[in-house]
Amino acid sequence: MNAPRAALTRRRFLAGLAAGGFFLTSARASAARRFAVVDWALLETTLFLGLVPVAAPELILFRRLAVEPDVPRSVADLGLRGALSFERLAMLKPDIVYGSNYSAWTAPQVETVAPLKIFDLFQPGEPPLAKIEAMTLALAEDLGIAQEARTVIARARAELSAHRGRLSATKQRGVLLVDVGDANHVRVYGRDSLFGDTMTRLGLENVWRDGTRYSASAPVGMEALAAYPDAFLIIVGPVPPDARAAILHGALWQALPSIAAGRFAIIEPCNAFGGLPASLRFARFVTAALLAEKDGAPT
Amino acid sequence: MTDLQPSLAFSLTVKSRPFVGWFLLFAVAMTLFTEASRLALDGLAPGFAARYLIDGLAPRGVFALLGGAGLGLAGALLQRALRNPAADPSTLGIGAGAQLALSAATLFAPALITEARSLVAFAGGAVALTVVLLLSRARQYDPVTMILCGIVVSLVCGALSASLILAGGDYMLSLYLWGGGALAQDGWRDAIVLGALVSGAIIAAFLLRRPLALLGLSDETARGLGVSSGAIRLSAIIVATLLATTITAFVGIIGFVGLMAATLARLSGARTAKAQFLAAPVIGAILLFATDSLVLLIDAVFETSTATGAVTALVGGPLLLWLLPGLPQRPAAAVAVAFRRLARPLACLAGLVALIVLAAVIALLLEPDGAGFLLDIQAVAALFPLRWPRLLAGLCAGAMLAVSGVILQRFTANPIASPEVLGISSGAGLGLAALLVVSPYAGTGAELAATVAGALTALAAILAFARAARLSPDRLLLGGIAVASLAGAGVTLVMARGGPESTRLLDWMSGSTLRVSAGLALGEAALAITLVPLALVAHRWLAILALGPTATRGLGLSPRKAGTLMVTLAAVLTAAATLAVGPLSFVGLMAPHLARTIGFARPRSQIAGAALIGALLMAVTDTAARSLAFPYQLPTGLFAALVGGPYLVVMVLRKPR
Repeated sequence: MNAPRAALTRRRFLAGLAAGGFFLTSARASAARRFAVVDWALLETTLFLGLVPVAAPELILFRRLAVEPDVPRSVADLGLRGALSFERLAMLKPDIVYGSNYSAWTAPQVETVAPLKIFDLFQPGEPPLAKIEAMTLALAEDLGIAQEARTVIARARAELSAHRGRLSATKQRGVLLVDVGDANHVRVYGRDSLFGDTMTRLGLENVWRDGTRYSASAPVGMEALAAYPDAFLIIVGPVPPDARAAILHGALWQALPSIAAGRFAIIEPCNAFGGLPASLRFARFVTAALLAEKDGAPT
Repeated sequence: MTDLQPSLAFSLTVKSRPFVGWFLLFAVAMTLFTEASRLALDGLAPGFAARYLIDGLAPRGVFALLGGAGLGLAGALLQRALRNPAADPSTLGIGAGAQLALSAATLFAPALITEARSLVAFAGGAVALTVVLLLSRARQYDPVTMILCGIVVSLVCGALSASLILAGGDYMLSLYLWGGGALAQDGWRDAIVLGALVSGAIIAAFLLRRPLALLGLSDETARGLGVSSGAIRLSAIIVATLLATTITAFVGIIGFVGLMAATLARLSGARTAKAQFLAAPVIGAILLFATDSLVLLIDAVFETSTATGAVTALVGGPLLLWLLPGLPQRPAAAVAVAFRRLARPLACLAGLVALIVLAAVIALLLEPDGAGFLLDIQAVAALFPLRWPRLLAGLCAGAMLAVSGVILQRFTANPIASPEVLGISSGAGLGLAALLVVSPYAGTGAELAATVAGALTALAAILAFARAARLSPDRLLLGGIAVASLAGAGVTLVMARGGPESTRLLDWMSGSTLRVSAGLALGEAALAITLVPLALVAHRWLAILALGPTATRGLGLSPRKAGTLMVTLAAVLTAAATLAVGPLSFVGLMAPHLARTIGFARPRSQIAGAALIGALLMAVTDTAARSLAFPYQLPTGLFAALVGGPYLVVMVLRKPR
């Protein structure tokens, strides 16, 4: 799209090649490796690459909250992310297990079964998308399909660029991104969240000025949103039923400038700690919401 | 004692100084509220600011006043009806029960929660209170025992709520359920409903004031005067529960406001039932309004969202500490069940050891989903490195908790005393919470250090408090309760911040043995092997201390030194076990009882028997917890609590025969 972006891409690819080239021979040999994932970001990424892990955690909730990509039936459920069933993992005997920094705590147990590889993805104050792209590439190299990774990363960038192009036609640039706890409290996503970083790539401005902690702010009263009267308000699902009623009919929510002017949208659930698929899913919903607003019909 | 004339006299003549004081506090609160509102409205879009003042801030102020009044009245009613000056919706488990019901309904019946939120909360609160009352019946509703039971029930409900949130998996969202106690309002609906309820409750309280005043005398006198004490008490309790659970349904748990209001009403000179039913709501309203205005101001300045309910608990915890030593003691019931004494305790111990070996073999050989046994030696070998650490840690933690329970129950001569209510575990939780705030990914080593530091700090606080009263056993329990409440409020404040530390805290609270590494398991084993024999060696002290301070001194033992050593031992045992299985297994409560019921009557055999029973309980529950819902695991500590809760109820129901 524009010059700096392309340069960045090339540089990252070269860096990836240099890192990956070292293990090239072993990686190719492991193309048929059986692997498991203990984190949703890794689950998304492997499926996105066209690979199917033998096991992944908390699939019931994943199918409900992250939705995409579709998880094949052959993937075994490892139980809660916070209470993984290491026993099932041991019975399945994968050759290698992948996780993110959120699953680093599993190392002592997982390593009795198979080597564990941890990718550092989500850190406070650090935009995650570049790290997610690097992880996608490194993972693919590890599994011997580096070329696929380059293709899907390029595809993801092209998709985000396409959205960005469509959005440039709209006037709306300032966006507030929240999820709703109850009728009176929200958490605001910052630039260091997957969603916030995706918005940056879409050319949208995250207008939230105050700090965030670990990708989203601590809960704040909904009145804090009134300090941004011109922002487009995006509410990421799922929204609890009573909070949804308050947003659509409550006196306070209806008085919020963004809501009163119809500059808001409630979008479907997305995985806030996902990989490129979650980023694309989110981008799709946001773009649709903002384009619909331009036509004067809030979703 | 000069009894006061009814209310007018209370407010105008006899004690005018407290009245002026309360009015001044109200004026201060009003100023705070105005200032906070001004700050909160600053920078908001003008159109919204007006709406926020009318439909957000104004109803919030009114709700704080009404909620405080409701809780104050609930506290006064409960204290009168139960003749317990420490009664409060939060010390009797009503709030925690209501919250558990709300969490469960949110997850399993979302339609119910939008339609009948208050009803769900009332059902939960009423069940919790019933359990507390049934449990304390065995000790003639002794106030201290009642509060202990309330804490136990609150802890169980809290653990269940934590597990529901974890199982629901929607961590971030559901943490709001936990935080609770936030008074933010959207429109006037809740305030109006609460206003109607509080008015009705005040009328009901006035109708009940005379019979309740008569109950204050004693059941026999009241019956002689023609009052059906049961019906009167029940009506008062139902009104109080309705008030407290409705408030919980609207805004979450607001801790200790009822207790503070009713106590301060008494101290301000309101001694008759009528005066208390007038003064407690007024004082409660002022207290909650003042607290919430302060919270509002803090939120406006720092742009955060603080749980008002946790802040009131931070104030109320110390009040409990100050108030509880003055509680009237009811003579302990003679132990109703005649415990048989084993003729051959050694044979029975050997039997228990055999059972433990059996449980361990099953734990190691069972299929992961519990459907059968592993026949393949390779599969057994594959699972062994995962299974032995949690098995060993569970066995050792169970034994240590059980021994700690024996020491505490013998030392305090109270059958409900247990490591879980001593506040040591809660202190450990607060230590962990503090670490996670500073550094959410500090790692297991740092987490262990923080938990131990928290447990030791809590122990030091309890001991300092109890030593001031020559280590009287009741003082010890009360200190534990107060520390547990304080630490609980701190943990709630951290929990309400959201973020990864909340998830980790929830996880720890639910007591999973999943994270036990080989190193930790070996550490637990080393501690158990050192500490349990130490308790066995000291068994004579327990027997002597039970004879009372004079006899103890007569036998050449310093009651203070021996007591401190025994309590410290119990605390260290608890802290060590808590590291592996979390704070809430209730093995420390169950195992000593089971040991006595079987017939291990003397301290030494009870310690040995309880240790084995505790180990057995943990091994069995751990295996069940990981197999029942495979691959979704139930937290071990919580699962043990689920077994322990019903056991407690059954045991106590059986007693008064």
